[in-house]
Amino acid sequence: MRPAVSQDVLLALLADARLPTGAHTQSAGLEPALRAGLHPDDVPAYLAARLRTVVRVESATAVVARHAVLRGLGASGVDTPAATAALRVVEGEWAARTPSAALRRSSEQLGRGYLRLARRLWAGHPALAALEAVPRGPVGHAAGGAGRTAPAGPAGAGRAGPPGSSGRGRRGPARPLVLGVTAACAGLDPIGVARLVALDDVQTVASAFLKLAPVDPLVTTGWVLAAAPAVDALARDVAHLTVAADLPAAGAPLTEEWAEAHVHATERLFSA
Amino acid sequence: MPDTPATIPSTAPVLPARAPGDTRALRLGVAGPVGTGKSSVIATLCRELAGEMELGVVTNDIYTDEDARFLRSAGVLDPERIRAVETGACPHTAIRDDVTANLLAVEDLEQDFAPLDVVLVESGGDNLTATFSPALVDAQIFVLDVAGGGDVARKGGPGIARADLLLVNKTDLAPHVGVDVGRMVADASAARGGRPVLALSRHDRASVDALGAWLRGLLLEHRAGRHVAQDPGPMAPHFHAGEEGGHVHAHDGGAGHHHDDDHAPGHAPAVTSPA
Ligand SMILES: Nc1nc2c(ncn2[C@@H]2O[C@H](COP(=O)(O)OP(=O)(O)OP(=O)(O)O)[C@@H](O)[C@H]2O)c(=O)[nH]1
Ligand SMILES: [Mg+2]
Repeated sequence: MRPAVSQDVLLALLADARLPTGAHTQSAGLEPALRAGLHPDDVPAYLAARLRTVVRVESATAVVARHAVLRGLGASGVDTPAATAALRVVEGEWAARTPSAALRRSSEQLGRGYLRLARRLWAGHPALAALEAVPRGPVGHAAGGAGRTAPAGPAGAGRAGPPGSSGRGRRGPARPLVLGVTAACAGLDPIGVARLVALDDVQTVASAFLKLAPVDPLVTTGWVLAAAPAVDALARDVAHLTVAADLPAAGAPLTEEWAEAHVHATERLFSA
Repeated sequence: MPDTPATIPSTAPVLPARAPGDTRALRLGVAGPVGTGKSSVIATLCRELAGEMELGVVTNDIYTDEDARFLRSAGVLDPERIRAVETGACPHTAIRDDVTANLLAVEDLEQDFAPLDVVLVESGGDNLTATFSPALVDAQIFVLDVAGGGDVARKGGPGIARADLLLVNKTDLAPHVGVDVGRMVADASAARGGRPVLALSRHDRASVDALGAWLRGLLLEHRAGRHVAQDPGPMAPHFHAGEEGGHVHAHDGGAGHHHDDDHAPGHAPAVTSPA
């Protein structure tokens, strides 16, 4: 049996930017936002806006996914079909609240990275088996990508897709689902996984900013600390959720529009 | 051709059969400084070997998918078999500390075109220190070119010293840049303790044949279970040219060290000598 790990250490481990999940390819929408004219001075406000909207949805989804998988597995802890069915409902509710296909795709791409980590660290856990059994849409070849209606057969054979289209194609579980399931495997509390999602978003923006604009890293670290009360408040707000239909539905049209535009941007540093 | 084992086959080798369901390819990394010819080497390998092996390619680009588009347009391989991974401004991270995005792309290719024999992974053009983690590739080629200067091979670094194959590329340019190829190869060989070095030019047929033969030999060894992935080593203290005579940059920051691609001018000076 694995020795117990404290909530604090689990959160620190999973929130660490060095976690090998491919997250270094992400800017949490900051690159497209800056390209669309967001002023660098407004990044703290951007962080706050994300915490009120898209991050709120993600964080709540992770909490509910954690609950769904544990509840589905049941007292025996091995009822994977029930857990799979419950996760499928959560994923549908998440997708309905994430109208941008670009955002859903990058979430799925990140989800695949976290899943790779969880598979190794919590190998054989029934919660992972339940997640992997959630049916996915068609797996096309890379060009065209998931979430778009691709014709059957090799999509776009003989032609290069739009920039970055290749390698983004395959479907995977959305990141908040994987994080919720990871929390279930690891024994991380609902409030912990809620904080994890929120803090990770803030940290992603802060570290991406260093590569996109000239600034002292101590400034961006200050932004993270300043956002911490909002991170905690968000976590407290969503930690009690257990029902997928109760997930918050806060739209962020600009974030969504920027994310869509970024798919077709050239010379980008971050994939999303 | 210097320092290449005499036993390598010059035509398609008869490979041992794979276990049923085994779709894992030989994963071969191609690293080296910007513009030394990594994409061109991959194009050459595809042109030479696509007829006899099932190949796939993953490119890493800092800015979008330039290299993937170059390779697709070269017409040397089905464009569907060429996938781009964007490395988020961190080309070393993507091949070393966090190989997730690359591994997903490699595994997708292996699954989509099963069974592939070889997946070639091009690293984003970088400095002399970036090498692939054995978690991502089974073997790696490090590419230098004569235009980078005849003394680069002597400067060393993990890729030059310990990659499975070192290429000294663009030898056709040597007369124009005043580089003695023989000298450069000899320096490199000395730094490599007998590991192979190949002087390559796409205009030199014999060298291209030798490159193809090397990969055939490697694939044979890999299939026979005799090839063991070697780690050329982590980021070593390394030399940054281009700033006031250059400086040595030491990586002693432990796991937390985050290596940006553009070092600030005020970057910490040497505390140790180059490995
Ligand atoms: N003369 C000559 N030029 C070459 C040779 N191989 C490559 N080149 C040229 O070198 C330049 C860079 O080649 P690439 O293959 O794009 O180099 P790379 O290492 O992939 O570059 P990055 O991905 O940008 O780091 C191109 O202009 C090539 O045509 C060669 O054998 N001889
Ligand atoms: Mg290239």
